[in-house]
Amino acid sequence: MIVVKPTLDIILNPLESLGRFSRLLFHAFGAVSELSIYRKNLWEQMVKIGVDSLPIVTMAAGFSGAVTTVQTAYQLVTPLIPRSIIGAIVVPSMILELGAVVTGFILAGRVGARIAAELGTMRVTEQIDALESMGLNSIGYLIVPRVLAGIVMFPVLYVAACFVGIGGGMLIGDLGGFVPAEEFMKGAREFFQPFDPIFGVIKSLVFGFLITSISCFKGYYTQGGAEGVGRSTTQAAVASCVFLLLADLVLAATLL
Amino acid sequence: MKFSNEIKVGLTIISATVIFILGVRYFEDLPLFDSTYDLVAEFDNAGGLIGGNIVRVNGVSVGSVKDVYISDTSGKVMVEFHVDPSIPVTEGTYATIAGFDALGVVRMDLVLGPTDAPRIPEGGLVAAATGADLMADLSDKAPGMIEDVNAVVGQLNRVLAETNTLLSTPDSDFRQSLSAARGSVQQIEGLLAAERDRIATILANADSLTSGLNAALGDNGEAVADLIAQMEETMATLNDDLELFHETNSQLNELLEKLNEGEGTLGLLINDPSMYHRMDSTISGLNGLIADFQANPGRYLKEMKIVDMF
Repeated sequence: MIVVKPTLDIILNPLESLGRFSRLLFHAFGAVSELSIYRKNLWEQMVKIGVDSLPIVTMAAGFSGAVTTVQTAYQLVTPLIPRSIIGAIVVPSMILELGAVVTGFILAGRVGARIAAELGTMRVTEQIDALESMGLNSIGYLIVPRVLAGIVMFPVLYVAACFVGIGGGMLIGDLGGFVPAEEFMKGAREFFQPFDPIFGVIKSLVFGFLITSISCFKGYYTQGGAEGVGRSTTQAAVASCVFLLLADLVLAATLL
Repeated sequence: MKFSNEIKVGLTIISATVIFILGVRYFEDLPLFDSTYDLVAEFDNAGGLIGGNIVRVNGVSVGSVKDVYISDTSGKVMVEFHVDPSIPVTEGTYATIAGFDALGVVRMDLVLGPTDAPRIPEGGLVAAATGADLMADLSDKAPGMIEDVNAVVGQLNRVLAETNTLLSTPDSDFRQSLSAARGSVQQIEGLLAAERDRIATILANADSLTSGLNAALGDNGEAVADLIAQMEETMATLNDDLELFHETNSQLNELLEKLNEGEGTLGLLINDPSMYHRMDSTISGLNGLIADFQANPGRYLKEMKIVDMF
């Protein structure tokens, strides 16, 4: 029995977490109907998650676009391949992968950690219990606006990331003498698939949901005082990143 | 001025939506604000054409391919595409698929019909012509080409095998030639190594000689020219002299011929032995007279005395 229990825990703990996560989501979706009551809270979360994240997200995307351009140009050594191919590689990379994933990682750190710390502190200082005792649905009040804000604002951030990333790539290609801006765009347009940006938006919707819901889950069920808040914050960021990558793979395998 | 959260969020969402729509339209080669003009073409072979590929008229990009699919009814390839509405796609326009599939740069070319013909309506069918599909052409010609290639490869194999045998047999002519050549080369190398100093000296000498000559020609160019002119003059004179000599020679020849034939006094002198014989007998007579004089001078001195008396 002593040997079996840890082995069982490895299997049972994730299952238990999944169960609790599902229950939380179930309650959250049940509380969507009460959203009108918490509308002010939703706008606030949208600003915190979306608008306030714009500078860091666009900066990271701009740099990743520029770096992708420079490295693609570095790898294109054969003169047989036209330089416009750089655009045809950088733009789809940005739209399909980098725009969503870079934004996702940044939000996992910036937003995920904040949500988990916020909710965790509220939990350990019994503010959530206070809300409940005042008759407020704590899930509806705290979790639904955050998850919804994530789902709505993540695609917005994704579009901003793609715009700035492609612009950064084009700019550095032109200024660095790797590929003129016009040729960069010609290559990008020649190989553009109309489904790519739709796939990117789907991805960002999923990432937005995953990051906010996982962080809410970790924060909402925090235990053990200040140390517990720290643990929840770390777990929220790490789990968000891991599930984000997993979802990335699953979506690419199923939709592309 | 402080904006409310609602305004911030609304502005951000609207901006992102506008950027998204315009960006997609831009990358799809669609006009950013105008409506598009959708058309369909029916091909037997898409030649690697995919959605997003460019549609061109006379080499100018005017739109893009929206979708490529196999028709359920005809089994042919249907290509939906959109072009700039300002392009007069009139009746008589036909579409071809061009580009090279292996490089991934396939495009659709439109050859526009006469400008005075009526326009093809929105969603109408554009006639398709078999384009210059390089891969399809190659595929058509492939069986024949493969036979040729097979034959060539077979021959090449035979040649290689023969070369191999030639190379691997130790006492083949080729090997012997090679080893002989190697030996020669080694000897030459040895010689070069041994005589390196001398060769260097010879080269240096040749160098100094040519440079000296160069210098001489450079410094005394005029003198050399004078010399050459004088030499030319001399040669001309010599030529004249030679002509004279030639003349003299011919005259001499004539003379000798006459002499040989015994013409003239000299000729007779040379050719007629009678004179010699006479001279010979005269001389021998003279010899006898001298001997007699020496033996008996008195006989003659008597006469001398008579002479003395006078």
